Amino acid sequence: MSTMGQSTPGPEDNVIVADAPPAPGTHEGIGVLIRKNLFKDVKNSLITIFFGLLLGYAIYKAVGFVFFNQKATPDGGTRNAWVVIRDQLEFYMVGTEFQRTGIGFGRIWAAIYVVAFAMGLAGGKVAGDDSPEMSLKSRAGIVGPPLFGALVLCSMAKTFTPVILTLGIAVPFIVGNRMTRFMSEGMLAKKGQILALLGLLAFLLEAGYSPAGPSEFFGIQGALDNVDSYGGLLLTVNVAFISIILCFPIGVVLALVRRSTFALLRPVSVIYIELIRGVPLITLLFMGEFAIGFFFPPSVSTPPSVIRAIIMFTLFSAAYVAEIVRGGLQSVPPGQTEAGQAVGLQPLTITRRIVLPQALRNSIPALVGQFIALLKDTTLLIIISQFDLLGVSDPILASPEFQNQGYAAEVYAFVAFVFWIICFAMSRASQRLETKLGVGNR
Amino acid sequence: MSETNNGISAEDLRSGALKPGGTGEPIITLKDVDKYYGDFQALKDINLVVGAQEVVVVIGPSGSGKSTMIRCVNHLEEHSAGTIVVDGIELSQDVKNINEIRRECGMVFQSFNLFPHMTIMDNITLGPRQVRKQPKAEAEAEAMRLLEMVKIPEQAHKQPGQLSGGQQQRVAIARALAMKPKVMLFDEPTSALDPEMVKEVLDAMQDLARSGMTMIVVTHEMGFARAVADRVVFMADGEIVEVGTPQYFFDNPQEERTKLFLSQIL
Repeated sequence: MSTMGQSTPGPEDNVIVADAPPAPGTHEGIGVLIRKNLFKDVKNSLITIFFGLLLGYAIYKAVGFVFFNQKATPDGGTRNAWVVIRDQLEFYMVGTEFQRTGIGFGRIWAAIYVVAFAMGLAGGKVAGDDSPEMSLKSRAGIVGPPLFGALVLCSMAKTFTPVILTLGIAVPFIVGNRMTRFMSEGMLAKKGQILALLGLLAFLLEAGYSPAGPSEFFGIQGALDNVDSYGGLLLTVNVAFISIILCFPIGVVLALVRRSTFALLRPVSVIYIELIRGVPLITLLFMGEFAIGFFFPPSVSTPPSVIRAIIMFTLFSAAYVAEIVRGGLQSVPPGQTEAGQAVGLQPLTITRRIVLPQALRNSIPALVGQFIALLKDTTLLIIISQFDLLGVSDPILASPEFQNQGYAAEVYAFVAFVFWIICFAMSRASQRLETKLGVGNR
Repeated sequence: MSETNNGISAEDLRSGALKPGGTGEPIITLKDVDKYYGDFQALKDINLVVGAQEVVVVIGPSGSGKSTMIRCVNHLEEHSAGTIVVDGIELSQDVKNINEIRRECGMVFQSFNLFPHMTIMDNITLGPRQVRKQPKAEAEAEAMRLLEMVKIPEQAHKQPGQLSGGQQQRVAIARALAMKPKVMLFDEPTSALDPEMVKEVLDAMQDLARSGMTMIVVTHEMGFARAVADRVVFMADGEIVEVGTPQYFFDNPQEERTKLFLSQIL
């Protein structure tokens, strides 16, 4: 593959030649630039000063809120306000009933390390690709948000072990990333399957067989019950990612059926999509909680509440994914299908090898948007009494230690920050995927 | 039907369409083919027999049904009436039948239609590996041979987007040839190309014609028609108006519509 000679031109090809005259505007000093852009005339200067003061005040308040935040205690002393997070960090992370499952933190950490390894693997070299290493800037763009989040979480820890373990996540990540360079092309081509297996392994580690629960179906049954006992970030992540992984294939199939010529199936897909999209998610969650039991035969016990919620999130999101993928399918020119037909390919092969790869590539931005929305929608779990990351803040704020002392801002800021880190990381990863697949420059 | 000055009826002229050239052995037969889009009749009573190793060039004003006709041959469009026989197989609704005919007909499109997410090599080997179940190594060796034939072996591992239009169209020719078709259909292969790239594609097509490939070419390149065609078919308003050898056709056209068309483009 190294005989390729040249690859797609990119910004890195625009090397600045040393002896070329500088482009206009770049040879002026910083002082000139500030004067030209910020203090051009009186009106301009006034605006600059006004917004400068506003920004300065906001930064002053933010720094005070984050670093110098003391609050009075009922017994007359003061304490750092972030104690509301620090003291209850376990609840934010895994919920209040986690200990009851008997799974233990060891397995959670093991799962996190497996996921980190899988992510390193995923971000590494891809089969049939010999493009140069990522630039330091885009590397920082990918690793930055999770690293920032990890550092903030570490600052909230009270003992040393979680800090070491959190920073240790880097090790499997880097190992996975470097490993891709020593893998054969054949192995790299199977990376998707390897990642899927690692994902399943991580899931079984964090939610599989538990000493307290039933162990039928290799712990799958137990896993469903265990997730029901989870709370906090662990619940959010479980519900969001299980739903994302399940809704994607369902959505793709719905989109394909909606565009197919099957006279019997197509209306089913259309009705499903329009029905689900026409109903608020809250309604669906309530239906899952209170009505879905009627659809199970009496001999089958209704699955736990959180599983019903996952089913509803999946069904809900699948309808949206279907519409996004349908848009992607429409963006593939009909000539592509014709070219496949002219070669004599079977319709299924044309869809799988020619149309879908292009359609999905075009759908990535919208799909990631939908997945981010789904992640944030998991905060609705509170309405069916499941305490996710946001929901768990309610009992903490209502606890005698913190109630009526004005800790809400800190708690919600922390919850918002964790959500933001996850969503931002997803968005950056999708941008990376887009450049990698060349979305927008075919 | 109008009588021409030589006393030859238009019927006789069109009947030239029924005498296959090349080796004389018919490989594509269109008999009384009609095609409707709703109420609009795109093809009217098309009769044409193409012989093995013959090159038939189809010309005519836009909207005259040229593309529709060759797209009917490999069932990208469904003909409404009449029979189409390719290499002894009659085109029917049967999927197996359609696929068999598509394997015998390579097609090159105006807009190349390469698969943009695959390398050139994968573009060419997809068909042979999926349809003919060729082993990977064998398919790739064959693909390299074809790329050498169209003179771009060094592009094998690039993506279509990195190639010029002319190179892409030559890849499309190689892709169609990889299926080892008996017939090649060209649907305005040079119309989407920049002028300086037309020649490299026409050269590749000429080489192919010399190698004895049966070809139906829809084109506006009159020079190519004159130099390479065994017979030229002129179509207008969904009908075959006139058929003849290039010499007869360009120097001594009989039909008014042909004369008008040629006077406009030459």
